[in-house]
Amino acid sequence: MTKRCLSRTIFGALLSAPFLLHPFQSKGQSELLIPSEAVAVFSINNFQLLQKISLDELIQYEFMNEIHQEIFDGSTNGRTIKDSGIDFKQKLNVFFGQNERFELAGFTFGINDQKALFEVFDDFDKQTDESEFVQHYRSYFNHLLIKGQAGLLIRVDPNESWVRKHTDSIWFSRGHDRIPGETDWDEAEEEILGEDADWSEDMDNEMFAIDDELSALEDGDESLILLSEEDLLQENYNDLKDSVFLAFQERYFQEVMVHLFLENKNLSGADPELAALLTHGSEAVFFMDNSRNVVNSSNFSQFRTLFPTLHRDLKELYKGNKVLGDLYLKDDQIEAKITTTYGDALGRIYAKMNNTKFDGKVTRYIHDESPMYFNYNVNLQEAYDQAYQLIIPLLKEQKNTRIATNVLVVEVLNEFLNKEAIFDTYKGSMFASYSGVKTVQVTQLEYTYDEDFNYEEKEVLMDQEIPIFTLGFSTERNDIPEMVLRQLAKMTSKCKKVKDYWVFEEAILNSLPIYIINQNDLFILTNDERLIVNTKGFGKNRLGRKKRKAIKKSGFLYAKSDWNAVMEGIPETMLSDKNREVFKVLKTQGGVMELKSSSTTTRKTDFTLTYTYEGKYENSGKYVLDVVNSLFVILK
Amino acid sequence: MRFIILFPFVLGMLLSLTSCIEILDDISLNKDGSGTLKYNVNLSASKVKINSVLALDSLEGKRVPELVEIEDYLRKFVFHLDQEKGISNVVLESDYDNFMFKLSCDFVSLERLQNGIKAALKQVVKNPDDVKLSDQDMWIFFAEGRWTRSIPDLEIPKKNNLSLEEIEDLKKGSYISITRFEYPVKSVSNPKAVIAKNKLAVMVRENAYAVLENPNVLENTIMINSEK
Repeated sequence: MTKRCLSRTIFGALLSAPFLLHPFQSKGQSELLIPSEAVAVFSINNFQLLQKISLDELIQYEFMNEIHQEIFDGSTNGRTIKDSGIDFKQKLNVFFGQNERFELAGFTFGINDQKALFEVFDDFDKQTDESEFVQHYRSYFNHLLIKGQAGLLIRVDPNESWVRKHTDSIWFSRGHDRIPGETDWDEAEEEILGEDADWSEDMDNEMFAIDDELSALEDGDESLILLSEEDLLQENYNDLKDSVFLAFQERYFQEVMVHLFLENKNLSGADPELAALLTHGSEAVFFMDNSRNVVNSSNFSQFRTLFPTLHRDLKELYKGNKVLGDLYLKDDQIEAKITTTYGDALGRIYAKMNNTKFDGKVTRYIHDESPMYFNYNVNLQEAYDQAYQLIIPLLKEQKNTRIATNVLVVEVLNEFLNKEAIFDTYKGSMFASYSGVKTVQVTQLEYTYDEDFNYEEKEVLMDQEIPIFTLGFSTERNDIPEMVLRQLAKMTSKCKKVKDYWVFEEAILNSLPIYIINQNDLFILTNDERLIVNTKGFGKNRLGRKKRKAIKKSGFLYAKSDWNAVMEGIPETMLSDKNREVFKVLKTQGGVMELKSSSTTTRKTDFTLTYTYEGKYENSGKYVLDVVNSLFVILK
Repeated sequence: MRFIILFPFVLGMLLSLTSCIEILDDISLNKDGSGTLKYNVNLSASKVKINSVLALDSLEGKRVPELVEIEDYLRKFVFHLDQEKGISNVVLESDYDNFMFKLSCDFVSLERLQNGIKAALKQVVKNPDDVKLSDQDMWIFFAEGRWTRSIPDLEIPKKNNLSLEEIEDLKKGSYISITRFEYPVKSVSNPKAVIAKNKLAVMVRENAYAVLENPNVLENTIMINSEK
């Protein structure tokens, strides 16, 4: 099975497995094969609703043909996913993990027929290191481990930065003084132009001329010999890097296998929250451990090296930070219930930040017919105060000059700056809306000709369609943005005050004006001309009572989007033929998406994301499959 | 033809950014064979779209160049054109608010002009082999009162999958070619060609979509009365 086939198999299994699982599935062994190094898991559970779609129905979909072709390497002979040897009574668990040294990815699944399974995994070779209880097969860098009635397909790769670091270390220890292929560009520029060169147009011309000379030198010059030596050096370096990569790959794969099979450490055993999640009756669950994901990632590797104590303290700060979710497929709705959990420290920050009173004035500026809008309600000052109390002591403990300097700067600024003024001006809360598309007039230049074909330029107006949007921020200091705008108006004629609002000409894409409404504790940017007619809001056309209530009841975050209405506003002539077909599918099979949050405690925040679709479908599963199949047919 | 040779390159480069384009090439020929070229590209009708595209990193899988790169490209072309023998007074006026560009230069002969343009193009394109024109290729000829323009086969790949809107915009755009002489014009071969009232100029005008589909629509033979 090729790498492409592996990805396709994962995709196919992800898509089809939910529809195939029997309601009374056995407690699977597949969950026990999720490595403890994984930080994210997506687990497909039993779908009581979707058992209405039989396997025979599923394999009729056109996209399944391609999956079958991939699984059976082109020669299906009438076989389908039913014949793959996979036990659809067990859960399918897809996982991913990363730390400073390596990343791993794969999935675990149930097996009911090993012989059939190896007609799918036909390019996997048996390895001789198997134990009595575990069978090990391998195809290039992919490993298949089978224990009892469950299988684990996994790939472990060392991180590029980790490999690079060790390769460079070995390289320099062998007596080399630089890494081949790396050039100091500043040095090169100085060499060509001289130390005191100031850049000017003449320099451009000189560079063009030098560029031409270099091109001319390419044929049979002495420099060609030097290039060859460099190429050889580069090749040696690359060979060394490959060897380091392979050595680490093998070492880390063994490490993961020892943990999993000899020490019996798996993620569901190590993490009680994941274990609990896997017992839920939802159609799928997902899990992410941010406490290991963020600070253990390779992006933090340099930070880890330079500030090990601080890195350890940050890990402590993120402890308990996880994302847990359930996915439900209801009659005409797909619902995701997500919980983010925090440790004590972060929890205190988020609780202070997110529990802030909803500003009802915001809804005056969202039109009732707006197909898409969102509101974000936070108190940045509370968050800052909490974070300051928490993080500065941590930083002060570090015995490092750079950190000490930064801490000093922060503490001094904290004393001198008027934090109230800053956070009253920008409180952190914001809202935005999209209200369809409008036609505006923009200027263009045209040539006019006389009878002897002499011509001159003339400015004319033409129609242009642009999206209508509004973006607003809460503020208790309207006077500060007003001060800035007054100065801006003196600096450029494009900015001017008209009655009780400001207009900035050619602000959008250098062509269209933007209007600024700065009053009533709100600072609003918009290109919706209805709002400059009455800057107090849409009046009776504002967001309806039911919709306002929904925003108010939601915690710090609320978003809603009616995709059918959004797409109504998009002119089809803007799309190519193919995109227009995709667009038609999405338009007829679109729905309404809504995101709500609960209030935040020091331990967690709950989110609910629902997608309610229109049209007649037996169930949500059939809806998802129909959309996927329509898109597949168009895009293939 | 002059700058029809430039047109596919210009259009090819710009087609990802815009569809509504107006190109004007205006050549004035003196009695001694020297002359002046003016080549104007007007994209003001698409400036909103261009600005929105330039704000992106990539579009349809292709990297969107930054404005400084486009400026560099044009300056490089002007620099190389100015270096060519027989070409002088090369000037480029750029208006990046309206996306309007005007190139002008003087030349001592049509041959020098065509060779100069070819050479300058080969210097600026990434792969000079993409400029499928040899040193011997010429498309404008003027001798004994007969001016001939033909269109070379440049094998410039066309952009596929144009939306309806792009096609409509291209049809609204235009390519205008004006040729001016010091002698009166007797006749023209292109059915779309129009002779000026003073009989000293010929204009051929076609929409940008038609030119993209078939550049030969701009071919023309002009007979002038050189005895007068």
